[in-house]
Amino acid sequence: MDQTGLMRSARFRAEREADWRLLESLVTEAEQRGLHRMEFSAARDLAASYRRATTSLAIAREISLDRALLEYLEALTARAYLCVHAPQERLGGLIRRFFATSAPQAMRRSSVFVALGFLCMGLGALTGYLLYLENEAWYFVFMPTELAGGRTPEATSGYLRSVIYDNDPDHSGLGAFATFLFSHNTRIAIFIFGLGVFVCAPAAVLTFYNGLGVGAMMALHVDRGLGWDMGGWLSIHGVTELSALCIACGGGLQLGAAILFPGPCSRRDALQRAGRDAVKLALVAALMLVAAALLEGFLRQLVQDMGTRYAIGWGIGLLWLAWFLLGGRARR
Amino acid sequence: MRFWPRRKTPRPTPEVILPPEGVPLTLPIAGMGVRMTAQIADLLITLVAAGCILWLLSLLRLTQPQTLVAIGSLLFFLTRVPYYVLTELAWNGQTLGKRLMKIKVVSHDGGSLGTHAIVLRNLMKEAEVFLPGTLVLTLDHSAPVFSLIAFGWVLVAFLIPLFNPHRQRLGDMMAGTHVIHIPQPVLLKDLAREAPPPRAEGRKIIFLAHQLDHYGAFELQTLEGLLRAGERQMTPDGHVRHRDTLAEIIGKIRRKIGYADPVPPADHAAFLKAFYTAQRAHLEQRQLFGDRRADKHHAGSDPAA
Repeated sequence: MDQTGLMRSARFRAEREADWRLLESLVTEAEQRGLHRMEFSAARDLAASYRRATTSLAIAREISLDRALLEYLEALTARAYLCVHAPQERLGGLIRRFFATSAPQAMRRSSVFVALGFLCMGLGALTGYLLYLENEAWYFVFMPTELAGGRTPEATSGYLRSVIYDNDPDHSGLGAFATFLFSHNTRIAIFIFGLGVFVCAPAAVLTFYNGLGVGAMMALHVDRGLGWDMGGWLSIHGVTELSALCIACGGGLQLGAAILFPGPCSRRDALQRAGRDAVKLALVAALMLVAAALLEGFLRQLVQDMGTRYAIGWGIGLLWLAWFLLGGRARR
Repeated sequence: MRFWPRRKTPRPTPEVILPPEGVPLTLPIAGMGVRMTAQIADLLITLVAAGCILWLLSLLRLTQPQTLVAIGSLLFFLTRVPYYVLTELAWNGQTLGKRLMKIKVVSHDGGSLGTHAIVLRNLMKEAEVFLPGTLVLTLDHSAPVFSLIAFGWVLVAFLIPLFNPHRQRLGDMMAGTHVIHIPQPVLLKDLAREAPPPRAEGRKIIFLAHQLDHYGAFELQTLEGLLRAGERQMTPDGHVRHRDTLAEIIGKIRRKIGYADPVPPADHAAFLKAFYTAQRAHLEQRQLFGDRRADKHHAGSDPAA
């Protein structure tokens, strides 16, 4: 059809329609096969054609009143935009980068918050310890009965010892691993992290409360002369597990601090910025909880010697520390 | 009575995002219902996957009856979290459920969707919905306070998107993302390019410039919709109604623009097409000269025009 009699917007469309159709087919191809599997020329055409379509849309908004055309161009450009601006990252690279650089770097950047988390836990433990020595009845306040598992001030020293050194095969293996991971502490860790958004208070309080329980438990065993044995029982997984709680608390505190002291940006922006490191802290804490579950499910029952328990627990703690301190530093 | 002064400038519509190319795009926000449907589909997929692994484990005699629930929930958790993160990474913000519902996660600022954002919004989903959700489901009558707190938390998590123009969850807000419908480009044919069907007497329908000064873009595009509706398949009953509507509209247009010649029913389609083409050409030309006419009230609102 000859185009001389047509109005401007119809001519505009007739001249570019083939290009839009090409873009449409390229977008469909990219969506179905994936951008990285497309041929070089097709990918290049997609990018160029997308930019031409963007220009077409801007012009059409000025010169055309054809609603069908405007809606088509809008949808086409949006579709191509989603395609062209897709992240081009490989999964393997992502995981390696997390372990090699970004996680330890995030830990070092938020070391103040993590230290605050440890402080909360430590103060809690100290308070729990001293309060127990003052009056044994505090024990029932700090420890939920189902968590104590019969280890109350009324229990005999013999029973306490049997809990520390027991090798009941029913309580090891996969079942124990799973039970542990879904026990109290994982839930607490998630709450500590998530509730940090509410201006830090719940995260700090929960960590403190957790410390109270640990302190009271320690005090009970020290009272019965089982302090070192309890220390060994707790170390083998507790070093990893309690550190995970403190790190989760650090992440939560970071989020809360962003709400409390947003600095020059808006609270929402500050939260987003703080979230970058806080999420990595949460992932590290999750990883450590899984490791602690493995230790508790398998190793604690296998290793019955006190010295070895200390060595394994703190050795693994040192490995974590080495990862946080040495990982992701630039080579000189 | 009005307690807040009305905003001078209207808020920018939440559907517009600005890509790096600088041309704003309209991407319709996905509602709660669609997202819930996608979520349920995803949940079913992960539940089935976890169930299969659990079945396999029990066949291998690795589980005991008393730990079955714990292992089951662990498997559900271990399939669920990576499922969301990996599918959204692989398909650029779409899980299988989202692909089914044709919705997608996009970055709020128009940039590309980063890994950090995907991980963050899916981890927050655990803390927002799943964890308190399981607490509510495993109701413990000995500790009603915790169940109530968990229930309140879930309720708030569902209410937050309702009071947000972008329908963002808490995790979306922290990650700087929201969920959109994927637009479907369909190019309809250009009405102005078709040759108008010839009149019965063979004369062309001609409109004068002053006759085209009455309407604006809104009326033009309404007429466009009406003409396109006429090309669709219709029931005989609907066809009669459509014809009556056309006749009435032609009567109104003729009165408004002062078109004296009678239009016989055989020429109705031709008249409207010719009017659409002439009106569009006129309005587009005025627009090129900086005289945008949004609707038929353009003359009253702008005395300079």
